[in-house]
Amino acid sequence: MLIYIINRILQIIPVIFILSILVFGFVHALPGDVIDTLTATDGEEDPEVRAALEKEFGLDKPIYVQYFIWIGNVLQGDFGKSLVTRRPVNIELLERIPATVYLALVGIGLSILIAVPLGTLAAVRRNTLTDYTAQISSLAGISIPEFWFAILCILLFALHLGWLPSSGYAPFFSEPGKSIWYLILPALAVGFRQAAFTTRLTRSSMLDELSKDYVDTARSLGLSERKVIYKYTLRNAMIPTITISGLQLASLLGGTVVLETIFSWPGIGLAIYSAIQLRDFPVIQAGVLVLGIMVVIINLLVDITYRVLNPRVGMG
Amino acid sequence: MSEQKISNSFGKQTRREFVATASAIAASAAAASVPGSALAAKNKGGTLRFSTRADARGLDPQRNIIYYVSHPLAATSGGLLDIDANMDIVPAIGEEWTVSDDMKTYTFKIRKGVTFHNGADVDAPAIKWNYDRVRDPKTSHSFHRSFFKEVEDVVAVDKHTLRITLKTPSAVFLASVTYYPVNLIAPNSVAQVDTHPVGCGPFKFVSWKRYAKTEMVRFENFWQTDAQGNSYPYLDAIEGYPKKEDKVRLTALRTGEVDLIENMSYADAANFKKNETANYNTWDIPQVGCGYLAIQAKKGPFAMDAADGKLMRQALAHAIDKEAIHQAIFNGLSESLNGFYGTASSWHMPDIKNVKEYDPEKSKSILRKLNAMNTPIAVVARQAYSYMHDTGELVYSMLQEAGFKTTNEVFDNPVLRKKYKKADYGIDSTANSYRFEPDQWYSVNVLSSGPSTKLRTGYKNEAADKLIVAARATRDKQVRMEMYTDVESMVNEDSALIYTHGIPLTSAATKKLKDYAPAFAGPFNISNGGVRTAYLES
Repeated sequence: MLIYIINRILQIIPVIFILSILVFGFVHALPGDVIDTLTATDGEEDPEVRAALEKEFGLDKPIYVQYFIWIGNVLQGDFGKSLVTRRPVNIELLERIPATVYLALVGIGLSILIAVPLGTLAAVRRNTLTDYTAQISSLAGISIPEFWFAILCILLFALHLGWLPSSGYAPFFSEPGKSIWYLILPALAVGFRQAAFTTRLTRSSMLDELSKDYVDTARSLGLSERKVIYKYTLRNAMIPTITISGLQLASLLGGTVVLETIFSWPGIGLAIYSAIQLRDFPVIQAGVLVLGIMVVIINLLVDITYRVLNPRVGMG
Repeated sequence: MSEQKISNSFGKQTRREFVATASAIAASAAAASVPGSALAAKNKGGTLRFSTRADARGLDPQRNIIYYVSHPLAATSGGLLDIDANMDIVPAIGEEWTVSDDMKTYTFKIRKGVTFHNGADVDAPAIKWNYDRVRDPKTSHSFHRSFFKEVEDVVAVDKHTLRITLKTPSAVFLASVTYYPVNLIAPNSVAQVDTHPVGCGPFKFVSWKRYAKTEMVRFENFWQTDAQGNSYPYLDAIEGYPKKEDKVRLTALRTGEVDLIENMSYADAANFKKNETANYNTWDIPQVGCGYLAIQAKKGPFAMDAADGKLMRQALAHAIDKEAIHQAIFNGLSESLNGFYGTASSWHMPDIKNVKEYDPEKSKSILRKLNAMNTPIAVVARQAYSYMHDTGELVYSMLQEAGFKTTNEVFDNPVLRKKYKKADYGIDSTANSYRFEPDQWYSVNVLSSGPSTKLRTGYKNEAADKLIVAARATRDKQVRMEMYTDVESMVNEDSALIYTHGIPLTSAATKKLKDYAPAFAGPFNISNGGVRTAYLES
């Protein structure tokens, strides 16, 4: 297992290197540049000012030189400064990562807590009221637009019932109680939608596994139904669920711009979105690179989990 | 230096008369106050939780545009002069001024005892340092810099006298030294301006987490006082909570999470005002400016130099149904306009001519006559403002109906700017505001050499150009009004800009918020108004 993990970590290095080139290339291929955004609509188009800013930002150098300067600094932990706010990218962006990770992890955790028991029950009690309820609720979760569900949650729980705050954020380690208080609605909005997908997947995986010969064999050996379901079948059925949950987590880490906007959640999605609009490329590059690395790490963890659940999974 | 009639924004008064009148009506205490010795008003205070639609891009008020309506940070800044609720320029840190006969030299007397938040004096050398910084392309935003492009020299004559020399005569320069274009920062704090700005506004900066929270506390040595000599502001602190989603901002107010919100959506405003007056106060704040359609007249069938360009633009103008925009986009809350200034402005011009009324049949008839049915035209709008692209969508349908072959696209600012440069669009659904001094609108967006005209529309009318340039050097407000009325009539005839609507911004607050008087320039820098006079009932 250790060799497998080391092997996979070594494979990550070229992936991250290629990712850095792609991120840098795509950002610089965006139409318009930061100087356009720093020059207001009413502002004069002054070539001298443009040249001065290009020099200051290093945009006057060939693109490959810009890349090597950037990646050299990144390797030393320096992501540079935002060209718009002139504050370090670490302050602009990286401080927001904990809020994103916090919401994504709790949201996914919540979705798994809902989806795995519900999907399993639906499969085991196929074509019963439980199954229909699970299917209808997951269909609703997939069909209802995320922003609409979020607004409904705010109107119900914040405005009409007054149980929860409508929006806001507090860091977990400094104000844990308040932090959880603020987290409930956004996590519910994230978790509900993700749970809808995962419930359907868990149900179909379970049905698939339940129809296999080893399940009949286990039953014929006199094993209890609980043991057959939870020890053998669910374990195998979890592999696609984990894959999808890993992908969902990666997607959530990429930012949930809509939910962050609605809940005023200071996550990375809104910051990157704003940076893209302003063409603030040090912020975009840092954000996308860091998120890319996180996705690669999540994939690694998912692969390791496969091995834990099913040692027959190949070394890859 | 002789004393001159100053009439650009204040009617025909001498400077001394003006100061006296303004002081009596609005700022009597300000003139009598001694900063530093004023007392805080007893029983007036509280922490105002203010939710805005937007947040600042950065902390340096000279490198970033601090949006006066929507950015809580605006409360930390101040300019040399103030604006009052009537949109007139009034004394502030600059307590008196004179203008030379040739209108090229402005001399300001700087109020004594005014300090920045770190205790440093706001004196003539400090203001000169600020103005030099704004004039330097390396250290300022081009928007701010554009207000100083006519400045030849800034001299600190002594600690309390500042002299500004202009390259060309101007009767309108005062507007360039009021709050919004050029905010003042403490020179000895420049090293920390991107992390902890030090200004001279009514509130001191504490912290800023972008898109999350801005914290500010009362500046105890703010220069302005009330009639009893109590120093403004009354509030102990302001917490700014940017919440971009209109519905969420409104819910935060209704759940008591915030005390004040701005920029209520037009869809919510009508019902809220009808149903919630018992619990909340609302204000419809008129803006000095309007929504309009800018036609790209640099090249193509609508160009100024195209044989039928003018007729083609008029065909566009006749296709626009302002009433439909008024109802569908602004829920009946807007004001239909024929010129840039709405009725709330003292620059409103009722005699503007050549307005092209909505008449799609006339559009079709022009197109048929010119054999130009199905002429392609691209409607574009900026992504950041929903009413702009919503209006664009409606305009798209109107033009289709009138016989144009239309497309409709929404872009973010950098892409739109590229399109402007390449003249790669037909009509831009856009808006402009905070032009309380009309020259700031006409010289930038109508004058053929104006930066926005050159960038966007390519509009050219020699007669209009002459009037705009002449108005800039005319002291008499009434004469200027007549000049601008003629300019607007020409703009309507040429149909290069189609004015559509004056757009109010609705704010709402809990009833606990007392003596809050927002004005067109937002809540932050209104003399004797806005957050300076507000307090929360305990």
